[in-house]
Amino acid sequence: MLSMLQRPLYWLIILGISMPLLLGLIGVVLPSFGYDPALGQLDFHGQHWQQLFHQSEFWSGLRLSLGSGLLATLFAYWFASSLIMVSFDKPWFTRLQAAITPILSIPHASITIGALFLLAPSGWLVRIISPWLTGFERPPNWLTVQDPNGLALIIALVIKEMPYLMFAMAAALTQLQPDKTLQAARLLGYERLTAWHFTLLPQVFRLMRLPIFMVLAFNMTVVDVATIIGPNTPSTLAVTLLRWFNDPTLLLRGQASAAALVLALMVLLCILVWLLVYRAIHHWRQLHAMSGGRSSWLRYWTLTGATGAAFTLCLTILSLVVLPIWAFAQRWRFPDTWPASWTLDNLSRAGDRLVSLSAASFSLALCSALIGLILALLLLEHERKYQRSDGTVIILFSWVLLPQVTLLFGIQVGLLFLNWNGNWFSVLGLHVLYSLPYVYLTLKAPYLAFNEAYLQQANRLRATPLRNFILIKLALLKAPIAASLAIVFSVSVAQYLPTLLAGEGRINTLTTEAVARAASGDRKLVSVLALAQAILPLICFMLATMIPRYWTTGRLALRRQFCSN
Amino acid sequence: MLELTSVQIAHKRQALIKPVSASVNNGEIVALMGPSGVGKSSILAYLSGSLSSGLQGLGQASLDGLQLMQLAPEQRQLGLLQQHPLLFPHMTVAENLMFAMPKGGSQTERYRQAKLHLAEVGLQGLEERLPEQLSGGQQARLALLRTLLSKPNALLLDEPFSKLDKSLRQEMRQLVKQAIEKANIPAILVTHDEDDATQLAVQIIELEALG
Repeated sequence: MLSMLQRPLYWLIILGISMPLLLGLIGVVLPSFGYDPALGQLDFHGQHWQQLFHQSEFWSGLRLSLGSGLLATLFAYWFASSLIMVSFDKPWFTRLQAAITPILSIPHASITIGALFLLAPSGWLVRIISPWLTGFERPPNWLTVQDPNGLALIIALVIKEMPYLMFAMAAALTQLQPDKTLQAARLLGYERLTAWHFTLLPQVFRLMRLPIFMVLAFNMTVVDVATIIGPNTPSTLAVTLLRWFNDPTLLLRGQASAAALVLALMVLLCILVWLLVYRAIHHWRQLHAMSGGRSSWLRYWTLTGATGAAFTLCLTILSLVVLPIWAFAQRWRFPDTWPASWTLDNLSRAGDRLVSLSAASFSLALCSALIGLILALLLLEHERKYQRSDGTVIILFSWVLLPQVTLLFGIQVGLLFLNWNGNWFSVLGLHVLYSLPYVYLTLKAPYLAFNEAYLQQANRLRATPLRNFILIKLALLKAPIAASLAIVFSVSVAQYLPTLLAGEGRINTLTTEAVARAASGDRKLVSVLALAQAILPLICFMLATMIPRYWTTGRLALRRQFCSN
Repeated sequence: MLELTSVQIAHKRQALIKPVSASVNNGEIVALMGPSGVGKSSILAYLSGSLSSGLQGLGQASLDGLQLMQLAPEQRQLGLLQQHPLLFPHMTVAENLMFAMPKGGSQTERYRQAKLHLAEVGLQGLEERLPEQLSGGQQARLALLRTLLSKPNALLLDEPFSKLDKSLRQEMRQLVKQAIEKANIPAILVTHDEDDATQLAVQIIELEALG
């Protein structure tokens, strides 16, 4: 019965994830050329594009998005790869990995708020060195955050994305033979870091392309991080066009649609440029490697990158530590390094609002994680059976690589048309769509590597295929399933734009509230919200690590306890 | 000459095998044999500087009077051939060889040299192929050639023939023996195959576990 339904279910899911994608694209392409039935505009023309290209705000926003997106990705990749290269065969590498993994589960907005409270002129960094080093008794008149060049935005993006790229690189290395490859190169006389550059790095990059492009697309188009810590006169293009879309006169919608298309094209163009530049670098590196020199200056490049990575990790830790300090601070005057007194009042002040926001975030994350898991299992089971995945992969990657701000406005128009806007289920639907690629990608390798002989044997022993599927296959895959659930939970908690646009202010989560209040100046309340936003996925992540490990022993202990007779 | 003096492998400071001492002359091969898991490969890993964490190497080794344990792996000038040829998959056959050659000469000259060396081992015409496009025997010959082109002062052979079929095995044994004699360097062979040891080695050392 289930196997008969498998094919229709697969096509239903593919339809379900490709229709909104198509709707999202049509919803910006047509209005950008003047066709917008909702506004009574039915003629095609290019005025919106002309209008857009005459906007100085467009060009400065585009420049900022390109600059901050590319530089943040470049630095994150340079730092992450350098730290992996330097630490890989050191005894503390495993501990470093274990320390970094929980950071992945913390939402962007949460860490960015921490970075804001760290880097601001009155932030913790200046407090730590004041007044004994700086002589400051008042916060200096500096633009260390929301600076016009987007430097603080770049730092915030590197802080969040460097651990992810390290995680992706460590995962890629498990598919290679890093120890033996390095050993072979070193025995040919190559210095350790030079050996890395010539032998392992080219192989790792091939496996890292997708994570790098995901980071690049995110960095160029992110809204919440740029709203919190990015420049605002002008803002990045993603933030600017969000403002145009939300313009109450609706006159800027066409122009905003054109800008949203430009942003999507820029992401694709940057991916192409990245690939071309990488090919050129790869070609040069191969020539360099063939010259026979056993030690290259590239090692100094790596050592500098590793120093940058260590500095970034320090900033990450401080950004996370400053949140609970502000959340429990009663009185913290500048330039004191620590609060003069502590209190729980900030928590109680957030009170009911905190509980309702946490409940909204939790319920959305839990539901989207479970639905996402079921959908991913159906897709993967179909893929295992029919050995085809190209279409699924392209559609899912489009969700990750195309800017949210581009797709969501078209989708919003569709939701308005169907009168589904401001609805909890619409928000959940978008959360599922944005979570599904992650659960699919996380589960794909372990799921397809599963030895089907176990399940076949179980089916021979007992003719209950669905029960066997759960008790044998899913039970044996419980560790990757739990990990993917934790990742999706975190992805859902972090969703800002989908919640904002589909919820229309009626559905609020910890993320939408924290971003909205980030600029309010109430650091204590914002810290409480950011802390709650970080803690939810962190708990889920810890449970996902612990439960599979102790599941079997715990289950047997319970059985001994209660079923001994 | 390669000299081992009381070389042992230990775990948590507890020696796992009886000490091994040997002198290997240039152009000669000494074989280390023993049951599986006794630590044969660990001795080669200790000599080459790649012993896995958790294990410690004890004792000294010198190559032409140079104390190996005081040097980084890349400075020891040891060649290592293993079961897996470990050819770099992103480099062509010629590039794998050019990567191993000592520095010097233009790219064109180095490429010409690589082609000449390939012809010497019967791999002519394969220079632009990727390692995955070669047969097992061709990969083994390429790995040997690559190791020799780096001009090592000694060769470590860690069951290099165990993945090959019978006829290929015999061919590779001869090729390795000739190469070691031609390069006039000492070699240590780790094997569990009596034929490997008796046909190649001038001395066979049986490793014995402690406790």
